Amino acid sequence: MSVGDVAVRATDVWKRYGGGLTQVDALAGVSAEFGKGRFTAIMGPSGSGKSTLLHCLAGLDKPSDGKVFLGDVDLTTLPEKQLTHLRRDRIGFVFQAFNLVPTLSALENITLPLDLAGRKPDQDWLTTVVDTVGLMDRLRHKPSELSGGQQQRVACARALVSRPDVVFADEPTGNLDSRSSGDVLEFLHRSVREFNQTVVMVTHDPTAASYADRVLFLADGQLRSELVDPTAESVLDAMKQLESRHDTADELAG
Amino acid sequence: MFKLGLRSVLAHRLRFVLCTLAVTLGVAFAGGAMVFTDSLSSALKKNFAVSTADVTVTPASPIQTGTDRPATFQIDLVDRIAAVPGVAAAVPQLMVGNVQILGPDGKPLENYGLTSFGAAWPRDPGAAPFKLVDGTAPWGGRQLALDESTASRAGYHVGDQVRIVTPTRAVTATLTATTTPAQAGAAAGAPLVSFDGATAQLLLLGKPGWTSITVALEPDSDPNVVSKAIADTIGDAVKVRTAQQVTTDGEHDLDNTFGGFGTVLLLFAGLALFVGGFLIVNTFAMVVAQRSRELAMLRAIGASRGQVTGTVLAESVVIGFVGATLGLLVGIAVASAIRFGYELLDLRIPTASLQVTPTTIIACYVIGIGVTVAAAAPAARRAGKLPPVAAMRDDVHVPERSLLVRVLIGAFMLLMAVLFFGIGVGAGGLPGTVLITLGTGTAVLAIVMLNPVISRYVVRALMYPFGRKAPVTLGRRNAERNPRRTSATASALMISVGLISGLLVIGASVKASIDKSLVDALGTAEILVTNDGTPSFGAEVGDRTAKVPGVRAVQRVRQQSGEVGRTNVQVTGVSDGTLAGPVTTTFDAGSAAALDAGQAILPRNLAKTLKLTVGKPFDLKTTNGTHRLTVGAILAPNRQLNAIVVSLPTYGTLGGSPSDNLLYVEVAEGNQVAQVRTAILDQLRKDYPTIEVRDQEAYAAVAREPVNGVLIAVGFLLAMAILIALLGIVNTLALGVVERTREIGLLRAIGMDRPQLSRMLRVESIAITLLGAFLGLAIGVTFAAAVQSAMVDDGLAVRDIPVLQLVIAVVLAIVFGVLAAVWPSRRAARLDVLQAIASE
Ligand SMILES: Nc1ncnc2c1ncn2[C@@H]1O[C@H](COP(=O)(O)OP(=O)(O)O)[C@@H](O)[C@H]1O
Ligand SMILES: [Mg+2]
Repeated sequence: MSVGDVAVRATDVWKRYGGGLTQVDALAGVSAEFGKGRFTAIMGPSGSGKSTLLHCLAGLDKPSDGKVFLGDVDLTTLPEKQLTHLRRDRIGFVFQAFNLVPTLSALENITLPLDLAGRKPDQDWLTTVVDTVGLMDRLRHKPSELSGGQQQRVACARALVSRPDVVFADEPTGNLDSRSSGDVLEFLHRSVREFNQTVVMVTHDPTAASYADRVLFLADGQLRSELVDPTAESVLDAMKQLESRHDTADELAG
Repeated sequence: MFKLGLRSVLAHRLRFVLCTLAVTLGVAFAGGAMVFTDSLSSALKKNFAVSTADVTVTPASPIQTGTDRPATFQIDLVDRIAAVPGVAAAVPQLMVGNVQILGPDGKPLENYGLTSFGAAWPRDPGAAPFKLVDGTAPWGGRQLALDESTASRAGYHVGDQVRIVTPTRAVTATLTATTTPAQAGAAAGAPLVSFDGATAQLLLLGKPGWTSITVALEPDSDPNVVSKAIADTIGDAVKVRTAQQVTTDGEHDLDNTFGGFGTVLLLFAGLALFVGGFLIVNTFAMVVAQRSRELAMLRAIGASRGQVTGTVLAESVVIGFVGATLGLLVGIAVASAIRFGYELLDLRIPTASLQVTPTTIIACYVIGIGVTVAAAAPAARRAGKLPPVAAMRDDVHVPERSLLVRVLIGAFMLLMAVLFFGIGVGAGGLPGTVLITLGTGTAVLAIVMLNPVISRYVVRALMYPFGRKAPVTLGRRNAERNPRRTSATASALMISVGLISGLLVIGASVKASIDKSLVDALGTAEILVTNDGTPSFGAEVGDRTAKVPGVRAVQRVRQQSGEVGRTNVQVTGVSDGTLAGPVTTTFDAGSAAALDAGQAILPRNLAKTLKLTVGKPFDLKTTNGTHRLTVGAILAPNRQLNAIVVSLPTYGTLGGSPSDNLLYVEVAEGNQVAQVRTAILDQLRKDYPTIEVRDQEAYAAVAREPVNGVLIAVGFLLAMAILIALLGIVNTLALGVVERTREIGLLRAIGMDRPQLSRMLRVESIAITLLGAFLGLAIGVTFAAAVQSAMVDDGLAVRDIPVLQLVIAVVLAIVFGVLAAVWPSRRAARLDVLQAIASE
């Protein structure tokens, strides 16, 4: 991959919590590149550092060591205010739950990043996005009047509406039934295919990962393996392999 | 359960501090009021006890006269009393108020509102109300004595020349002695100047006479028996009281005097606690909402409804107790600060040690804990109603009573309020005002009830000018999202702003009405001469004014009190030309000629009250007896003549003293008013330093002055209530930040920067502030306008809505709203984005 094709790059990123005996390395030297217009999934056991990595990539958290570049901007040295504006203008984020502001309607939630930036939404693009998530008839509703799946789709639309460089999603389907999950994943998939959007998604569901172009496997804060053009089965295999390797390592250590 | 409540208090210091502060402020008002009045009156009462003669005889005039015009009696009475069996000695006393003592610089001494008294040097030191400290007793017209604290305050020493202005004249005399202050009656502790008996009568009364007789009894005689004997001998021209009765009466007077002051403070304590109550209500609603799962869990593991309610109430008891304790301490501190202030002024107000009575302590705790528990009770009851299964649910909703009941009750009360207003305005006068006040109270409660329903629309309308940018919309929606909390917060402000705006409108209307009534009443009297400090002044002032070049004529006005039947009236004596130009008069019936015929002119209102018409006779009781007068004319309402008007000769026969209260000066043609005024001042200033010579404009300004004083004093106390209301806003915002931590994290994550976050909170704060200010303004102005309509014939002829002041009040409210948001938004900005998102 040439530099011009890379949306986000992490080089030797470390994240330490606590100190002394209780020190935890949530990330232990992670380096990765995420290509433009690509859909990358990050997988790994609970506590392996997936969320931490995503937060560092999205400028929500500062690595203890290492660099994160969005395009050619170094996020690790950016002051707080610029970082906030960068999140607003160039990054989209979808959390596992509680993505929406309860006092705003679906439409208002979708355009919130633009409103905060004081920009007018591009009406055509807004229509396209809303159409793609299939929420045309729900725009005036408050989040409390929407189902969990609909709420996540609104969150996805919000992440896309400012045409960000990257959309980060942290287990966006974690709280959803399989049908709603399918809708959300289909939408992310289409945004990559049709609008050339870059998406990085954390998940622990092999089916969800199969929507991606590439899967990165994380364990104990380190990248362990990578799978290109995954299917649900190949992901499951890779996970099993990772776990057995993990067990062996444990046995060796023990 | 109590332990759980205590833990909860400790775990949430913020809301604990704000709640406690609200209770503390309210209790401090109450406690301070009680401690101060107790201390002052107990100290004064002690003085009564030590210095009262066995039996005291005073003239039995039923007329409440000013201290400068006491009822008197003649010396023959003393001999008659001395002859009564059991009386060892009867000593006449003379004590007259409203004397002015001038400092060495020729200016009157500042007495901070205390009246100075003049007295006759006691014939018998044993029965004297004051004692010699240093020097020799004054003798003759050129010698006087001062109480030692006044002398030292002014810097006078024995041998110095001291200038005194009495109700009849001004004199300069040599200070020959210093004394203690008077120790009994109204003069207790006040500045005191004394002369020998004859001089005192001349200077203080302008005629012979005494104001009381102190009687010493022979050993073994019973005061009650002797006082009965005196009363039987003299008849009902005198009042005879034993030492016991004098003390009781005096204490009663003191309680009335200081009771009034205490009542005002207590009223504000009530207001502060009422306003603070909204804050507590909000906080506990929030506490229960936040702890709902924990409380439901308690229910699930077997706690009864009562026990769950109990934990919440326990928390309120802790807060009430701490608030009451702090409030009591602050109150005592305030009371001692006031006392210390008096000591700094070097006034010898007898200041005993601070009186913190058990009643005060109990009252403070009852008030503090009572109000807190009452305010927390609804939330506690709701907590008890939480179903145990709520512990298992994801999002718990505390059951709340439907708003429908509130709306119905509120609408009904609003209807009642409108009815009260209608009847009140129609009825007019004092009863009308009472009805309107009642209506306003009802309207306030109605709005408090309806507020959760109407607040959303009012907020939307009021916030329209702030635009639709994202932080503005978010802030406004936040203000709308918890209507109960928003409206409780705003209601506290509404009450304070309502009182202030009502006060502003009534104050402005009173001032405008005074101006108009003066313009209407004052005719050709371009210059008015009065004596500031003492109501009256010697006739010589008028004589000298009349001789000033450029003065065409001087008209005199004298005043005293009287009674017609059971109605207290003022009696005004006017010189011949007064009604023929200096004062503009309109007669409903009769004419000014009635005065020459020895008849009386009655103002319309009084004639109506007394049911008198022209030609009818009536009996007027004055200090020297009962007189039959005939109504000669009825006068349309007139600010300068709101009394029974008689000619000066008639006034003399009614027992009025020959000193003037007011001079109307007409300027001769071809002379400048300002120049003539200066000439009069030059003529009088040296001998009568307290005489004021004013043109009509300045005279009106002085008439308006007391209104300003009242406005400032009440305004200050109301500002305290606003402060508490603002604490409520800070509290609500801070609670909101705590509750919406995750939402704030989300907003920050998707790109809201700190200034925008602050802006969002500021907008919420301004929305609440505007809601409160707007409703308060509406209620206050409506109330004041209605009162003015009702009182249009009773001194409030003009309605003046001080738009500028009201606008300033609203702008200030917005500024305060902005300030209230400062601290909560700083807290919000400091939240760590990721932790906030992860928070529950
Ligand atoms: N704020 C924090 N303080 C201390 N340790 C943390 C914090 N956040 C995460 N960790 C630790 O870092 C590791 C990685 O966490 P996380 O990135 O949330 O894992 P994942 O999302 O893969 O489940 C875990 O061991 C977790 O306990
Ligand atoms: Mg995670």
